[in-house]
Amino acid sequence: MKFRAKIVDAACLNHFTRVSNMIAKLAKTCTLRISPEKLNFILCDRLVGGGVSMWCELEQENFFSEFQMEGVSAENNAIYLELTSENLSRALKTAQNARTLKIKLTNKHFPCLTVSVELLSMSTSSRIVTHDIPLKVIPRKLWKDFQQPSVPDADVSIYLPVLKTLKSVVEKMKNISNHLVIEANLNGELNLKIETDLVCVTTHFKDLGNPPLASDDASRDRDPAEMAEVHVDIRKLLQFLAGQQTW
Amino acid sequence: MLKCGMSGTQVKVFGKAIQALSRVSDELWLDPSEKGLALRSLNSSSSACGYVLFSSVFFEHYQWSASKEMNDDGRSLYLNCKLGMKSILPIFRCVNSFERYVEKCKIFTTSDKCKVVIQFFCRHGIKKTHNVCFQESSPLQVNFEKKMCCNTLMIQPRLLAEAMVLFSSNEDVTLAVSPLNLCLKSAHGELAADLTNSVYSEMLVGPDEFDFFQVGLDTEITFCCKELKGMLIFSEAVHVPMSIHFDFPGKPVALSIVDMLLEANFILATLAGNSSRSCSPQSLCLSQAGKRSDWRQLNSKAGQRGMHKPPECISRKTTPKRLCPQGTPVKNSAAEDHGSPQLKKANLDNIHEVPRSSVGDTEEEPNSFSRRKFSSMFFGAVSSDQQEHLNQPFASLAMASDSEDD
Repeated sequence: MKFRAKIVDAACLNHFTRVSNMIAKLAKTCTLRISPEKLNFILCDRLVGGGVSMWCELEQENFFSEFQMEGVSAENNAIYLELTSENLSRALKTAQNARTLKIKLTNKHFPCLTVSVELLSMSTSSRIVTHDIPLKVIPRKLWKDFQQPSVPDADVSIYLPVLKTLKSVVEKMKNISNHLVIEANLNGELNLKIETDLVCVTTHFKDLGNPPLASDDASRDRDPAEMAEVHVDIRKLLQFLAGQQTW
Repeated sequence: MLKCGMSGTQVKVFGKAIQALSRVSDELWLDPSEKGLALRSLNSSSSACGYVLFSSVFFEHYQWSASKEMNDDGRSLYLNCKLGMKSILPIFRCVNSFERYVEKCKIFTTSDKCKVVIQFFCRHGIKKTHNVCFQESSPLQVNFEKKMCCNTLMIQPRLLAEAMVLFSSNEDVTLAVSPLNLCLKSAHGELAADLTNSVYSEMLVGPDEFDFFQVGLDTEITFCCKELKGMLIFSEAVHVPMSIHFDFPGKPVALSIVDMLLEANFILATLAGNSSRSCSPQSLCLSQAGKRSDWRQLNSKAGQRGMHKPPECISRKTTPKRLCPQGTPVKNSAAEDHGSPQLKKANLDNIHEVPRSSVGDTEEEPNSFSRRKFSSMFFGAVSSDQQEHLNQPFASLAMASDSEDD
């Protein structure tokens, strides 16, 4: 198994760092899948209670100027690694003013992801920072747990309001109830509702806009004013909102 | 009797010094003298000591009059003022706003009661008065000859602070120097990372980033991050570069800032010998606890209780290999690791405590003897008089710490 990659562009590095920060906020431990075209950060819902899963896909050529990998075997040309997401995001945090960033899979007494950064500095000599992030290699027999989740056909798709506003609303609601009802329709209306014995609180968002429907989408026949609703755990939703950065 | 006054800008620096010293310990000694006002702190395990001296010209006005009463041996009483950080730190909490908000600050002591009064004269005619009671306790003074160190580096704090974000405050960090560069790395080493799932980080810094880079001895020292970070913050606040003075592992490292108006020194114990491999933070703490109880027994045996508080002068080193009392030959193989007898001697000559207390018991013993005992307690070495009692327990302690199961 081999993996070497290099980032030289500052914007790519910044973007990669922000992705890593977001992952760190969403999942404590996650799986990194390396394949010839892509890099995936995966959170498998069986590992963490509560049924939250995450799939993040990056086209490697959008980030890396050099990218070489060799998977477990020719037929199974992928590498699955488990690591603590915060370790990666902290290592990347030091790469703010980097000239180059190199990531490679190494084995220093145990498997590591070695992140090596060459920092720009005032003087002629540049600084070199190296981080060895310990990780576990996931054996091939477990790979089936980490497949891309299929997103079911939606009854309603809607554009969310400004995430910051949404987050502050949900945060206040968290103090009242553990469950939140989200309902939305094809007229661009979204409601967040909580209900307890003593009080019901609803926050209404209007004029949000809906993504255009595909021609074979079943929801074309739907009454636009009809609301579709789901019940979710507030804390999981808040965790998701907290992980979002302002792009 | 102390009486001094500062402007808003000056009290901001004063507050920053207190914040930096709070990283060393929960206790602060206020030690005024003719030279100026010194703030001192010493942590409970005696592995770190902080000292900031504000010279009399730093203040808008400064007045110190030693008490007229003399002690039996002809020394005048010092202030001997020990404050709890918990009482004094909140007073200087919003230190960044002091420049705009505070016009003047006065600090004075009252001779009759054990009280320090800190008064802030703020905008809009607001006057805030804080009365802080103190305990009578004489501060420990550590004289460390910075100039005698083989390795001296001076760096702008911003540059080192960027490196220090790699490490969290509770970690030990290893500083390795050679004439080519400086390497800051995680102390726990690559082996331990697997067990603790923590990242091993390393940063190489070239010599031209330093204002001054003199390396006489290729060496690696390991010490705690916390105080270093505190000193860096203070150094940035006063816009003065920080210098680092050190030698071989085991000998303390001094972090210092020297300016016309103030001088600050943090002296930190470093790990001795090849302990970096076997030493994880957990085992350090355990060996300290083990040694602490031994020390208390020894203290009572030697009748040192009257000498001085704090009693737990335990070094952070995992093995007390610095068993080199002044002039006495040492039967300890570790001592030979550190080369010539000259080096061994340098260790003790440079580090001695000068107890300035006028506590009754100490007067019976001659000054030089008490000084020797303190130097040994402070950094783990042992004085010649206790050699016989202590060699045995120390030998066993040394072996216990060498093994993994502390």
